[in-house]
Amino acid sequence: MNNTNIGKENPSAPQEPQEEKKMMLTKKDLRRCAIRWLMGVNTFNYEGQESSSVVFALAPALRKLYPNDDDYIKSLNNQYKYFNVTPPIGGLLLGAGLALEDKDRLKSLNAVQDLKVGLMGSMSGIGDTILWIMIPTIFGSIAGYMAQQGNPVGLLVWVLFTLAIFIWKLSFFDYGYRFGVRVITQLGQQLNIFTEGASILGLTVVGALISTVVTLKTGAVFQFGDVKMNVQTDILDKIFPALLPIAATWIVYKLLHKKVSMTWIILGIIVISMIGAATGIFAK
Amino acid sequence: MNIQAWQVILITLIAFIKAIDFYGTQILTFNSIIYGLLTGLVLGDPMTGLAVGGTIQLMSLGVAGLGGASVPDYQTAAIIATAISIASGKGTQVGLAVGVAVGMLGVQLDVIAKILNGFIARKSQAYANQHEFKKMLAILWICPVLIGLTAALPTFLSITWGVSAVNFVLNVMPAWFTSGLSIAGGLLPVIGVGMLLNYMPAKNTSALLFWDLCSPRT
Repeated sequence: MNNTNIGKENPSAPQEPQEEKKMMLTKKDLRRCAIRWLMGVNTFNYEGQESSSVVFALAPALRKLYPNDDDYIKSLNNQYKYFNVTPPIGGLLLGAGLALEDKDRLKSLNAVQDLKVGLMGSMSGIGDTILWIMIPTIFGSIAGYMAQQGNPVGLLVWVLFTLAIFIWKLSFFDYGYRFGVRVITQLGQQLNIFTEGASILGLTVVGALISTVVTLKTGAVFQFGDVKMNVQTDILDKIFPALLPIAATWIVYKLLHKKVSMTWIILGIIVISMIGAATGIFAK
Repeated sequence: MNIQAWQVILITLIAFIKAIDFYGTQILTFNSIIYGLLTGLVLGDPMTGLAVGGTIQLMSLGVAGLGGASVPDYQTAAIIATAISIASGKGTQVGLAVGVAVGMLGVQLDVIAKILNGFIARKSQAYANQHEFKKMLAILWICPVLIGLTAALPTFLSITWGVSAVNFVLNVMPAWFTSGLSIAGGLLPVIGVGMLLNYMPAKNTSALLFWDLCSPRT
């Protein structure tokens, strides 16, 4: 496909004028798609995953492209197929798909589906890492720690940051439509390196939090004749204060690694804590 | 304190909007602190809300529902934990234990809502093929209502029944139960840390533990 023909609506990218009639979708149409795409994962089902939301978002734009009911239905049925992407950046992909469809109409349906399914994995890899792991981990650890001390500043910074992303992402359909497929594939390769580095940074920040966030103390007391020693305050605190939290972290890490369900681990922690409290092995 | 009817309605509404934002507009996704704070504001004790939300935020670090997976609903947990901490007057640990437990149950509702969404999707596509394009889109509005209920229902039930139930249980239960809950509250953040370690390359783990060794402890 020829990407230079995509994006006729953008005044900053003047191209051959005879192509102008062919591309029908305007910036306004794409903004409308972006707002309707805010439906996001709300329609998630185990068959088509986010496909209902894709239909919900694209329907007005597709109707404009296909005034004929039968063509419209063909295109809709194509969009009802399996699709799953990190919603905020999904606009890039869906916008690029619209550009293909705007250019070649029904002839493009297979290409649209190939584009969506082919790139949704790598796009989600980037999106999930940045949006759902990196940002909540970095901002969440700082804001959470400050909130515990009664300071809302960290929270405020985080909310402002996510609001900015919200406003930004409303343009993603337009970006995807204008720059088409080429930019998405390029973006994918470059961002991979960036996300890898940034996620290591985020995780290291949290790593430092283990000893402050996880608390576990033993109440056990050693007695040798007249000498009484509290294991936690007299021994562990002097040699290796965070030994128990680290041990607990290690065990949970191994259990999660073996795909033990989170529900069982949480229930296990509650039960073990109660047994520990009853026997005096653990102390508050 | 007793929670007034208007406070129950407002908090339930917060939970409803929370679930839709979590999946849809995604402005406050994975932000537990704000929901603790909002609930605290409704109940007239924002500082407790902030502290409870912050604690739950640290518990949930690294827990992300990727690719449509269902994860414990820590944001609803923050709403319930704040409400119960303030209303029962028994401290934040008790609220945290109840809130996290209900957040776990919320996962089951999430699965049910996503199964029901499947019926709606099929109905919507059937409407499309019958040329009923308005109905095709209108029926999809049921989905966010279902998703909203996955958080609103447990919130409503736990703050209307939960406070008296929790108070009853606490008065009847022996000391090991309550101190066990406190210990569990201190230990539960380990899950988020464990999840994070699973995302990391193994060679970084040793550096991390070394860092831990060096850090001062209070």
